Amino acid sequence: MSKFHLVRRADARIWRTLLFCFIGIVISLTIGAVILWVLGIKPWEYYGKMFTIGLIGNKYGYKSIEGLLKIFVPLLITSLALSLSFKMRFWNIGGEGEFLIGAIAASIIAFHSTGTPNFVTVLLMCLAAMISSGIIGVAVAALKVKFNTNETLMTLMINYIMLYVIRYIGETKADWNFFLREDSKRAKFGTFPDSAVMGGIHFGKFNLLWSVIIAIALTVIIYIYLKYTKHGYEISVVGDSSATAKYAGMSVGKIVLRTMFISSALIGLAAALTVSAAGTISDTITNGVGWTGIIVAWLGKLNVPAVFVISILISILQYGCQAAATQYPAIDINFADLLQGIILFSVLVADFAANFKIARKEEAKNA
Amino acid sequence: MLDVFTLFLFNIIVYNIPLLYGTTGEIMIEKSGSLNLGVEGTMAIGAVVGYLAGAKTNSLFVACIVSFIAAGLVGLLFSFLTVTLQANQNVTGLTITTFGVAFYYFIGNALSNSKGGWPMFSGAEESATKAFYEQSQALHIPVLSDIPFFGKALFSHGILVYVAILIAILMSVYFKKTVPGLKLRAIGENPAAADSLGVNVTLYKYLHIIIGSGIMGIGGLYMGLNMGGTFEGSNCWINGYGWISIALVIFANWSPAKAILGTFIFGFFNTLRVQNAALAYAFPNALGWLTKIPSHFFSALPFIITLIVLIASSLSKKKKSGEPQAIGRNYYREDR
Repeated sequence: MSKFHLVRRADARIWRTLLFCFIGIVISLTIGAVILWVLGIKPWEYYGKMFTIGLIGNKYGYKSIEGLLKIFVPLLITSLALSLSFKMRFWNIGGEGEFLIGAIAASIIAFHSTGTPNFVTVLLMCLAAMISSGIIGVAVAALKVKFNTNETLMTLMINYIMLYVIRYIGETKADWNFFLREDSKRAKFGTFPDSAVMGGIHFGKFNLLWSVIIAIALTVIIYIYLKYTKHGYEISVVGDSSATAKYAGMSVGKIVLRTMFISSALIGLAAALTVSAAGTISDTITNGVGWTGIIVAWLGKLNVPAVFVISILISILQYGCQAAATQYPAIDINFADLLQGIILFSVLVADFAANFKIARKEEAKNA
Repeated sequence: MLDVFTLFLFNIIVYNIPLLYGTTGEIMIEKSGSLNLGVEGTMAIGAVVGYLAGAKTNSLFVACIVSFIAAGLVGLLFSFLTVTLQANQNVTGLTITTFGVAFYYFIGNALSNSKGGWPMFSGAEESATKAFYEQSQALHIPVLSDIPFFGKALFSHGILVYVAILIAILMSVYFKKTVPGLKLRAIGENPAAADSLGVNVTLYKYLHIIIGSGIMGIGGLYMGLNMGGTFEGSNCWINGYGWISIALVIFANWSPAKAILGTFIFGFFNTLRVQNAALAYAFPNALGWLTKIPSHFFSALPFIITLIVLIASSLSKKKKSGEPQAIGRNYYREDR
């Protein structure tokens, strides 16, 4: 037998986790720099372009901020929503599918909204999206609670079924299909009437969309919900041990159903805000937030403020890669995904290093 | 008239064998109690690395070995993170997919934009990949290949098709008839019990995750060769087959033998999507309705079927499911 083995540290310290994660991120960026260098690109110049998202020396800098926020809002809301279900150890990886359901529901309202006031339309779009996504979430949760069906695999299947549903809608020319442009011969998604396109507050040229304000307000609300309400407490107890929750007299099934409804409805809301801000729908409208949201939620350790910060960082990474791609044709946006993966791997290692230590056998006995 | 059916059967096999690689690989991993959602990414990495090695050395054998090793390294990463470092399996697997697919595009774009360009895959006389190309083409098996109808459909394939079926059969025997296979299944059902009986849980998990990932890698390579080895910036070779493989594992009830059958059933719908027009043209009266079904429906069908199987099998308590009991949960000895 080996002399050493791993012991979980009794004292989890926040500074230690932060320090180790910081080291992990630095190492990932270094690996990224080596890749860039191999391709003959000066890493600091590329990183400089990426992290300033093309703001410096750009007359249209406000457009960069607007573009960044368009990536940020759906990512933030989806990540927060996924954190809610992950906190109960409910593996909702159906973010993509729930997002698409919400987007389709919101678009149905949007395409029929000519003439209704803007505020009413957007509100209706949000409600329709939240209800339809929420229902799917509840259905999955009900099967899980009642029959112990594997929720990871169920939600995974829903992602792909919905992907083909939206492709079908987008590629089928027919009389019933009001999603498509009527004036185009080729099947092409139409644009929403003005009544369904979200407005914002203007600061000079810069247009701060309402969705950004809603997303930030939601962050605060979810933080309070998880930290200071009975519901939030119940979620964390179910996550720690559903047996404990049961013996404490909580109705585990009810908590799971309720939380999954909120989680999927929030993803639906993210979708409604996204299509309304874009003024149209497409089969790439999710921009992969269902997947990226999982990474963000995990990097943020399901902690609301941390998820908020990480969403900003990942949005900068993604948007920055897009912005830099115009000047570096050899490096496309996939570099962002590549880097994202490396960062998550090193943070997983860092997280382990912060929570475990290598101990000698005798020490371990005393620990 | 018979030609349409021959071609249909032939295509089911040719275009869907990657599913069998992905599925058998994933079954091996899941039997050890780990759920690896990184099939798509693992296949992508195995495909691109293996293909480039094959094109460089002009040998299919080298390509297979290299894609097995490359994908096996991804498996090593997965097992290091989830077995040793106790990281969450869902998150690690999904990140492997994000990472692997991005890796594929990244390498492909970088090479396409470089001076040498992306290596071509062709059997032309002056081609540098002539041997590689020829080795991957259909083998002519004496007698069997000459059987009318079935000869062309079943026995006129490249070597990798037969390897996939051989792997599935061997794996089935391994699980059922050998001691290590039995121990592996014990780990998947209850790692703590297996550990207390002296099975080296960590070693078993590492080994089987690496081998399973390696098998997926060869499937990725096959997929790439099927696509003619050309890199397109917009479409990944794997094209969702990794995800269908995960679905197929459930459909096959975690049995490699049933995975062969499942591959052909999923493959049937896949081929129907591509060939419905040809069938409808050949038999306008009997099969004319086929063109009315949108191709998206056939694409979504594997996922719809799997969802139904998933729910139905959890509803019926009687039927014995092959799903390993400890799947998705990490095993940490000190928590026992």
